[in-house]
Amino acid sequence: MSTSTASASPSGTSTDPTNVIVETRNLGKIYRDFWGRKKVNALKALDIEVRKGEIFGLLGPNGSGKSTTIKLMLGLLFPTSGRAFVFGKDATDVSKNERIGYLPEESYLYKFLNAEETLDFYGRLFDMPADVRRERTEQLIQMVGLQRARRRQLKEYSKGMTRRIGLAQALINEPDFLVLDEPTTGLDPIGTREMKDLILRLRDQGKTILLCSHQLADVQDVCDRVAILHQGELKELGRVDSLLKVQDVTEIHVKGLDDKTKQEIKDVISRSNGELLQMDNPTTTMEQLFLDIVRESDQRPGRRGGGA
Amino acid sequence: MRLTPDQFLNYFEWLFDPKGLLQGFFLVLILAVLGFLVGFVIAMLKHGPGEGFLQVAKIIRELFVVDLPKTSFRRIAAIAKLAIKEAIRKKVLVVVAVFVVAIMFAGWYLDPKADNPARLYISFVLSATNYMVLLLGLFLSCFSLPSDIKSKIIYTIVTKPVRPTEIFFGRVLGFTAVGTLIIVLLAAMSYLFVVRGLDHTHEAKEISGDGTSGVSTLQRFHSHTFTLNENGEGATNESKGHRHLVTKEGDKIVFSKPVDDLTARVPVYGTMRFTGRDGEDGTGFNVGYMSEYQRYIEGDTLSSAIWSFKGVSPASFPTELNYDMTISAFRTYKGDIVTPVGGVVIFRSSDGLVESERIPFKVKEFLIDQRSISTKLKGFRKGQPAELDFFEDIAKDGKFDLVIRCQDRGQYLGMAAGDVYLRAKTLPFWWNFVKGYISIWLQMVIVICFGVMFSTFLSGPVAIIATISFLVLGFFGSFIDQIVAGKIEGGGPIEALIRIPMQSGSGVELDIGNPVLENAIHVADRGLLIGVQTLKSAIPDFTQLGTADFVAYGVNLFDGLLARHLTICFGYFLMTSIISYFFLKTREMAA
Repeated sequence: MSTSTASASPSGTSTDPTNVIVETRNLGKIYRDFWGRKKVNALKALDIEVRKGEIFGLLGPNGSGKSTTIKLMLGLLFPTSGRAFVFGKDATDVSKNERIGYLPEESYLYKFLNAEETLDFYGRLFDMPADVRRERTEQLIQMVGLQRARRRQLKEYSKGMTRRIGLAQALINEPDFLVLDEPTTGLDPIGTREMKDLILRLRDQGKTILLCSHQLADVQDVCDRVAILHQGELKELGRVDSLLKVQDVTEIHVKGLDDKTKQEIKDVISRSNGELLQMDNPTTTMEQLFLDIVRESDQRPGRRGGGA
Repeated sequence: MRLTPDQFLNYFEWLFDPKGLLQGFFLVLILAVLGFLVGFVIAMLKHGPGEGFLQVAKIIRELFVVDLPKTSFRRIAAIAKLAIKEAIRKKVLVVVAVFVVAIMFAGWYLDPKADNPARLYISFVLSATNYMVLLLGLFLSCFSLPSDIKSKIIYTIVTKPVRPTEIFFGRVLGFTAVGTLIIVLLAAMSYLFVVRGLDHTHEAKEISGDGTSGVSTLQRFHSHTFTLNENGEGATNESKGHRHLVTKEGDKIVFSKPVDDLTARVPVYGTMRFTGRDGEDGTGFNVGYMSEYQRYIEGDTLSSAIWSFKGVSPASFPTELNYDMTISAFRTYKGDIVTPVGGVVIFRSSDGLVESERIPFKVKEFLIDQRSISTKLKGFRKGQPAELDFFEDIAKDGKFDLVIRCQDRGQYLGMAAGDVYLRAKTLPFWWNFVKGYISIWLQMVIVICFGVMFSTFLSGPVAIIATISFLVLGFFGSFIDQIVAGKIEGGGPIEALIRIPMQSGSGVELDIGNPVLENAIHVADRGLLIGVQTLKSAIPDFTQLGTADFVAYGVNLFDGLLARHLTICFGYFLMTSIISYFFLKTREMAA
């Protein structure tokens, strides 16, 4: 089994420079100690582009340079070599932040504020007038489902709730470009599904999303293109469907076949010199099973689900 | 209370004084330039001199072209509001409770037998507030930003369109607002404590046969004598820094609440000069005290101290000319120890042709001698005795001289420029009290500016140590000046450190048996001290900014002085803003 290797130039998206939201050129970062000695070469000569309207995934094991790349794009770190541009501006230019929303890997928020105060505070940082802030705060609290906890201080929030308010603050300015670092961490399966649906919805609204995650299934579900990093180097870049497509294997899903027909299919494969790898009833995913049970439980409270 | 001549300058004289390189406009300018210089040093250390210079040029350009013009007050207010919420939700107001406890038990350790309880009470509340507020400013400002950086909350701030200027201004504004609230609460409590703590009255204990004088009962470890006029109105003598007005109501003698203890005299200061034994220009004698604050004039000679006043008008002194003297005596022989050393005061026109009679006085050491003369007085016109009108004959164009001579042969009277002043009027005490707290507020703002500045590049605990060091240098800077000037025995830090294990007294030369090493120690000490002194000159002199003495001694704090302190505060705000901008601009928040 082999996978196709995508070229550095992504297919299916325009190469018009005005469509490029993020561009890194030979971007590198070396961490040094107090005395200026080289400690880690975290990122080596990265060249990627994130294009308008796509969901771009950054994948890689721990220490591969994903977070460093995001921090360089956001201006939280300065590159040792090369440059990063966001909306055509240098990544250290503060004005680019007007159109960016950022959800860090953990929700780094003030624990002594409640949800309303948090969103109001971040709204002020975008210089939004009071009435706009109020309206936007209300919308976002509804959207992330924190209506009942809106007046509680964040220190009383569960991890999932903290993630939701973190996402809300990232959306306060209706950004054109969203950077989501591990967006599903700490969320239960329902929350994870909702987050993924939301990401797709935001993409459909024309927003560009950069997503960095360990949850490969999540990346597979939502990303249009991915870059895979390892030890600070870009190892793979391309469309998800192209990267995952196994070219020499054929998959057929058929419903309502009897055993005789199945045998005939096997015979046909055999006659055609094909090798039957698997012919079985498919299993659903654990995520789907869980969501079905919870949905049924919501409809008929008190009864044990029928999946056991 | 000691006043230095430069304190008499009015605000604009001070601001544009060409002689005062480290004051006024020049101070603000130098501090701003210092801010850029520190920025250049930072950039040079990071990138080398050439690249460093380019970096600084780029940052300065961005400061003026981009960041300052695009600084938003709404963002500053958001960060300020957050700082206020943070402080309040982290229970900073506990400081107020601690202060309440401190003043509840203050009566235990404030001596009720003190010569001037008002001065003691006022000094106590002002000092307590000063130290508490400075400590508060220190802790508020040093921990906030490092805590945001450590907890990575800063990631969600600097990825918004927030500029470095807004981070600094917002925090300074927020912490200043919290500090202001606390100062207002402490000031209100202090005022009540002082006013209520000093409130008392007396009753008549002994009355003379004709009912016009007597002695009061003993209250709060003192009593007064009193006199009454034919209308049954009078006053007590001064005791413990206050008097009482006394009135006769029927057969009963009623004492008012204390007067003159909580006051704000408005002084009019003159320029001072001395003449020598034969009346020639002089500098006054040094009688051998370490302090050169006061200079002395010799008794029974033409040696005199002359204050020249200007701008004095009948509007300020319609019937009487009030003047205060705080003069000390130095005796070269014991003589009659009970009788104070005597002197005379002469009022003289600035051309010297008209002068008053000699007005004798006996020195009241360590006290403010409040005196007055009628504007109709006897004197001499061109040497001939005459009846004079003060403003028509002596102070014709508002200018006159006040001359003091010592009368007792072989004795000396000591005085400084601020020791004699005209008392134009008295302002309400509460306003002077408020001005005293404004001074504390200004000091707090400076501490907050430095605290926030250090916190832009140091961790919380290190920022605290740095700010404390700056406070120590600010409070004891004059000590360092004295060491550098060689006025303090014992040498610099290295020499002092060596003397401790050697148990070597500071009065003798350091002797470690190796002249070369001794010389090396002196050179190293010199270098260290000059370094510290240079650092000190970039730090405000908190002893100069403190104005508690004005309030405690009942002297109106000059508005010009307060304006100067405000300007100094602005200068340091400017300097710390620039340095903080450099650090925030060049710092990798996620590093």
